[in-house]
Amino acid sequence: MPTYRVDKAEALRYLGYAGQKTDDLLDERIDELIAACERDSAPAFVYRIFPVDASSGAIRLVGSSLVLEGSAIYEHLREARSCAVMAVTLGLANERATLRMKAKSALDAAVFGAAGSSLVECAADACEAAIVAEAAQRGLHTNWRFSPGYGDLPLDVQPAIVRTLEADKKLGMTATDSNLLIPVKSVTAFVGLFDELREHTKRSCAGCACASHCSLRKAGTPCYR
Amino acid sequence: MLPITSHAVCADARDSLHIADDYLARVIAGEEYLVFDGAMGTMLQAAGLEAGELPELLCLTSPDEVTAIHRAYVEAGSQAVTTNTFGANARKLGDAASVREVFAAAVSCVRAAGARYVAADIGPTGALLAPLGTMSFDEAYDLFAEQVRAAVEAGADIILIETMADLLETKAAVLAAKENSRLPVFATMTFGEDGRTFLGTSPRIAALTLSSLGVQALGVNCSLGPDDLRPLVDEMLEVATCPVMVQANAGLPHVEGGRTVFSVSADAYAESVAGMVEAGVRIVGGCCGTNPAYIANVADIVRDKRPVRSFARPLCSVTSAQEAVVLEGRHVATIGERINPTGKKRLKEALRSGDSDYIINEAIAQTEAGADILDVNAGLPEIDEAAVLVDLVGKIQGVSGLPLQIDSSDPVAVEAAVRAYAGKPIINSVNGKQESLQTVLPIAKHYGCAVVGLTLDEGGIPPTAEERFAIAERIVQAAEEAGIPRQDVLIDCLVMAASTNQSEVVEILRAITLVKERLGVRTVLGVSNVSFGLPLREVVNATFLASAFAAGLDMPILNPLSERYREVVDSWRVLCGQDVGAMRYIEGYADKKIASATAKAASGAPAGEGGAPTACEDGLRHFVITGRRAAAGAEVERMLDAGESAMAVIDGHLIPALDEVGKRFEAGTFFLPQLMASAEAAKAGFDVIRSRSTGEAVADKGSVAVATVKGDIHDIGKNIVRMLLENYGYTVYDLGRDVEPQAVIDCVKEHGIKLVGLSALMTTTVRGMEDTIALLREQAPDTKVFVGGAVLTPEYAQMVGADYYAKDAAEGARICAEVLG
Repeated sequence: MPTYRVDKAEALRYLGYAGQKTDDLLDERIDELIAACERDSAPAFVYRIFPVDASSGAIRLVGSSLVLEGSAIYEHLREARSCAVMAVTLGLANERATLRMKAKSALDAAVFGAAGSSLVECAADACEAAIVAEAAQRGLHTNWRFSPGYGDLPLDVQPAIVRTLEADKKLGMTATDSNLLIPVKSVTAFVGLFDELREHTKRSCAGCACASHCSLRKAGTPCYR
Repeated sequence: MLPITSHAVCADARDSLHIADDYLARVIAGEEYLVFDGAMGTMLQAAGLEAGELPELLCLTSPDEVTAIHRAYVEAGSQAVTTNTFGANARKLGDAASVREVFAAAVSCVRAAGARYVAADIGPTGALLAPLGTMSFDEAYDLFAEQVRAAVEAGADIILIETMADLLETKAAVLAAKENSRLPVFATMTFGEDGRTFLGTSPRIAALTLSSLGVQALGVNCSLGPDDLRPLVDEMLEVATCPVMVQANAGLPHVEGGRTVFSVSADAYAESVAGMVEAGVRIVGGCCGTNPAYIANVADIVRDKRPVRSFARPLCSVTSAQEAVVLEGRHVATIGERINPTGKKRLKEALRSGDSDYIINEAIAQTEAGADILDVNAGLPEIDEAAVLVDLVGKIQGVSGLPLQIDSSDPVAVEAAVRAYAGKPIINSVNGKQESLQTVLPIAKHYGCAVVGLTLDEGGIPPTAEERFAIAERIVQAAEEAGIPRQDVLIDCLVMAASTNQSEVVEILRAITLVKERLGVRTVLGVSNVSFGLPLREVVNATFLASAFAAGLDMPILNPLSERYREVVDSWRVLCGQDVGAMRYIEGYADKKIASATAKAASGAPAGEGGAPTACEDGLRHFVITGRRAAAGAEVERMLDAGESAMAVIDGHLIPALDEVGKRFEAGTFFLPQLMASAEAAKAGFDVIRSRSTGEAVADKGSVAVATVKGDIHDIGKNIVRMLLENYGYTVYDLGRDVEPQAVIDCVKEHGIKLVGLSALMTTTVRGMEDTIALLREQAPDTKVFVGGAVLTPEYAQMVGADYYAKDAAEGARICAEVLG
């Protein structure tokens, strides 16, 4: 069982931190909220690997009902032998704690939320590492994790991901009518598995809808690792 | 709002359950075993069902295959067979098929397989209920009710509600079954390795709640392998007052040579199930990974056997989704009284203005102070009590795990609130008047609530212990006649003030003892009234509370924030044996001293905040800029004491400090948490001014409504905007998240609002923004709109029709200043 920790520098970056001088009082409060986030979260993930069929112009994951539309995901997976579908969450305990924070203090809620974003990335890294390990066992190589909402892959694929992975039963994850995930601190993604080592294995800002005005990008500190 | 019809009155129909045959009746009475079937999904996947497909559609497209699976189970010994309708609700089926046709086909498949009983399967809706999710209780209820009606129409024998993780969703399904059919209802939930559902419900909580709701069987399904389930099942057996049902997984799945294999063999499974049957489980079957071979073994275990154990006795219990308060022996539980507008100006204001955060924080404070149960009362003549009570109960359940006591004299409000409550609440209250008994008790029975009985009747509150006892006796009798076990009746002998009814105080104590000893029921008491009109009320209250405990009081209603009360409760728990070994008392009090009156003198800036300003500096300004809440509040207090006017404090210190913080944020020398910490410190100052003002002092600069639009649930940014605007003196109506366009319009019209702020985080939810603005333009054309959110740009803002784009909260405040002045 991996240990999941909030990366404080990353959480601060989400809050717009760029080296401002802060004092101990605020710093201690942030540390307490990070500790609360680690305490009130139960990071967990599931993934399944399906063969990829790109012959029809869209990506079909064989053995599931998932069909992924859009040119970005097509590009991401068209040469892949198979694709790992992953779902990661901090759990409903984190969601409950968030509600409590919001009622008590907007500041606490904002810091707690940023800490949660960092923690769920950490859990997503662990899930991706498990996928990479399984791929390696099969002699395959992976590319980066591509999430719905990135590029032109629509969010409306979320309910199908939840169904395919039974993430509702296994993780307590559900999608709203507007295709947002609850718990809010959840990530779903697709990782391609390839015969050959990939040259471009990293995500970039290029395909992101927010690229033109993203403040993290401007600061040279993108939201992904 | 809820269509409030009295569902409680249809309770009578349930007295004549439609039970398929005598054997099933004996199963429900606990006199026979019943064998269910095993997995359907596992079998369908083995036959080639794709992941993510809707297996329910196979009832229509491949009925023979579905029937063949059912038949295999019947042949293996399943008496009750579950329809392939787990996800057959309107939300999941969408346009693929109607609920009615799927149930009709599914029931036919089971019948064709020759099953003795058809159990109509109902799984979760697939959406999470509010407050954590966005689906309302009524929406969930409607989805379930449609399934139940379809099951009845198709001729099912049992409604099986299963694989539930959310106690509230389970309750919605159980109520839908009770109110739309006369079929027996079996309900099982699924738990994780930590012994809780994803929403924190333990098997004990589930069993207590579902028993009270009047299901015919309850239990566990899915979750884990049978050995890992055993402790969870034992928890249920201890408290369930109906048959317990278990359908475990065949252990954990793993992939072997491309096939999913489960870790527990059919033989091992049977061995575990045999142990559970021995322990008292009466209804057995299987879940994921089990197949007819497992069921054949299970059927062998109970063949020609009859259960010998009896059900658990009913307990005096109250539950929420996360906590159960069970009173045994002389244990006591405290009920927090603070959410009740009587005599509380600030709470009345909060109820009138819809400031639920204030009320929610009262709930959080009482929870943190150690209350066991919270009383919730929203009784103000000028508000829609039922609507407000339902809303508050939902919100409080989102932040506090404590069980609630629903406190209202309006039966409509009581029913609406207990209906959508996750767990088994207390109703406060019924009394000895015929009308009250006739309206309140059916509600308590139908929704499985505990109920407080006040010892008053048409003749008022009688003065002697014997007369109060007589009313209590009548209430208990009426409750039992209504089908409510006496364990669920809590008698309140009604406190009178010692200053006006001195002779009655000892009568009250005597009445408690009489009720406890002769009726064997628990008692509650609103303690604080006893000291009305006397000085140092807390001293009188504490003395009275201690005597009431000695007289047999179980559940005092009190202010848990009062230290004196806490001391009495904590020390009594040592004396009555509840705090075993005085562990909690020693932990909490070992380092404490009895505080002397002088030691509590003015504290100024509390420890930890430090950073005192130098003599020449403006103290308040410093405290705001450095984000020191307590110090800022204390400093404002001091300035007002020294004769400064509220306006001078605001205009001369608070606002300039906030402006300075805004500048630093703009220049990048402050980052967001610093801006917010300053806003909190300033708010502490404003709160002091507001609490000391007589009404005129704080100028209102105008009203703004803010909302995170329909479809979006990311509201942290909106909350930050609200906080800053409040600080600048605007009245902010915060409509929350996932807000319907019409709700924004209604608020704008009701309060004559000229400026609305909308937030959306995702490109996909910006559409909700566009819809809201379009409706505003149509119905409130004078209202200006500013928008913000991660994906918005000035161009995008213009495209959706907004007047202003706010790149951050500080910009939002500037826009307000421009529009409202």
